Amino acid sequence: MKVYDGQTSSETESKPEQIKVGIAEYDVSKNGAVLTTSGLGSCIGVALHDETVPVSGLVHVMLPSADDMEDGNRAKFADTGVETLIEALEDAGGNRNNMVAKIAGGSDMLDFSESGSGIGQRNVEQVKETLNDYGISVVGEDVGGNHGRSIKLKGASGELVVKSANKGSRTL
Amino acid sequence: MKVDIQSLETFNQLAREGAEQATASMTQMTGIEADVEVTKMSLVDRKDLGEELGDRAFVGVQFDYEGELAGETVLVFGRACSASLVEALIGSADDEAMAKSGVKEIGNIMMSGFIDGWADYLETSIDHSPPTYIEGNGPAVLPDTTGSDDSDHVFVFKSRIEWVDESVEFYIYMLPEYDPLTSIMADHADTGDDAIPVDKLEVFNEMTRSGTEKAAENVTMMTGVETTAEVSQISFAPVTDVPKQVSNETYVGTVVEFTGLPSGYLMVLFDEVSAKNVAEAMMPIDVDGDGLTDQHKAAIEELGNIMTSGFVDGWANVLQTSVDHTPPRLVHDMGQAIIDPLAAQVGRQQEHAFIVDSTMRTDEIEFEAEIHALPNEQELREALDELLVDRVDETEADPEQIFQE
Repeated sequence: MKVYDGQTSSETESKPEQIKVGIAEYDVSKNGAVLTTSGLGSCIGVALHDETVPVSGLVHVMLPSADDMEDGNRAKFADTGVETLIEALEDAGGNRNNMVAKIAGGSDMLDFSESGSGIGQRNVEQVKETLNDYGISVVGEDVGGNHGRSIKLKGASGELVVKSANKGSRTL
Repeated sequence: MKVDIQSLETFNQLAREGAEQATASMTQMTGIEADVEVTKMSLVDRKDLGEELGDRAFVGVQFDYEGELAGETVLVFGRACSASLVEALIGSADDEAMAKSGVKEIGNIMMSGFIDGWADYLETSIDHSPPTYIEGNGPAVLPDTTGSDDSDHVFVFKSRIEWVDESVEFYIYMLPEYDPLTSIMADHADTGDDAIPVDKLEVFNEMTRSGTEKAAENVTMMTGVETTAEVSQISFAPVTDVPKQVSNETYVGTVVEFTGLPSGYLMVLFDEVSAKNVAEAMMPIDVDGDGLTDQHKAAIEELGNIMTSGFVDGWANVLQTSVDHTPPRLVHDMGQAIIDPLAAQVGRQQEHAFIVDSTMRTDEIEFEAEIHALPNEQELREALDELLVDRVDETEADPEQIFQE
């Protein structure tokens, strides 16, 4: 574990651990670590938080559904990615009845499809549908639009900070 | 010689697992957490090898290996990164001899697992030399592979590893000699429908270079700034790694969808400084202020369009087909967010993707442009196959036969 002595960082005195979550990856934080993922275009970052433990988790999904794909990576898809994250939070002591979700991403930038909805929008729909199936409500969202996002989930509080290249940042 | 997608996937996976294992060994030794950011297999022109190292100072270790797979493998750390590692390991990096032996020790432990992983998979033994300490600036730190075999191109398995929360990185390169590697890949290939003639990938690199040169000519024509094509390579990586091909800095540029054989997406990206500089080179009057104005963006859109046409024409010439593209869409966003929807689009049909990358630069102003293309994998394969047929026709045509009639 890396030790932060506060000397090299001017931002905070005791900076919590940061964990990077890559595309089609997920991670869970029980010790207040900050989970980050960057460069969300049509991809979606789904953050789950159970404040009774507290435990938080973040998954970065790329495509709507694992159906018809032979790919074994569950975290790549909106449906199986959300399921995987719920299971991981439960393994860490969480309970789906206490979980709330915040989501960001699903931009329709660079959607060249001529008919129907783009991947970004379908990702948003699928994430919401799967969360709904598990009875988890979405308490904050910054989705759609025409720009990319990077997000930071504060493990201790469940706050989700959403940054975009041209539109500043907001906290959900 | 043909390789199939499966064997490319397998070899890419081997390199990735090896890099992860090496990184885990480092974390165990030093307590420093790091992530394997990206692993890709690229076919590059030998003279472009290590271009991503810039002219920064590196130290590291090199192993030579022989057996069924012969060549070199190299692990290099940025100088600052190596000092932190050595400090974590032995307490101080002040003494030069100690620092060198620290790097050697870390390198040795990290890389032996890497090489063993390959040997296990290939069910063969790979004998490797003890580690040699290396240091140098930029690509010069890498072994000179020119003259080691006939091909102008070399396959390189490249992993970039980053420290969590710090901007220090190191690289692992696996540089197998061309012939032994391609014959192993062919042995492990199940040469069915998806087989790729490996030598045609080289032709594709040539196409990319010619496309980039055309695009660079167009930049020179429009801006009056002498611009040269720098690097072109074709890489193969999981679609989930595709967005990591560009940094997450803010870029300005254009994106098009192209149709034909192959179809796919093409991005022309400038970092903000380059975008501003090159746009102003195109404008008749000086612009006030620091930011990117709508005039800058209009100029970039025009430039992106003409660079795209140049690039695509270069391809179409070699393929002797026509490749059409949509009007350019202007983008100004985080690099990874720009490429992410395109990777997702391509990822609906395929787990892995070919990525064509090239860059161009100029000495006159601070300017660099990147071109990235994401062709549909199956169509790229078909295009390469047709190229093969054309070439066979060309080389096997017998002049006497032609003149007999």
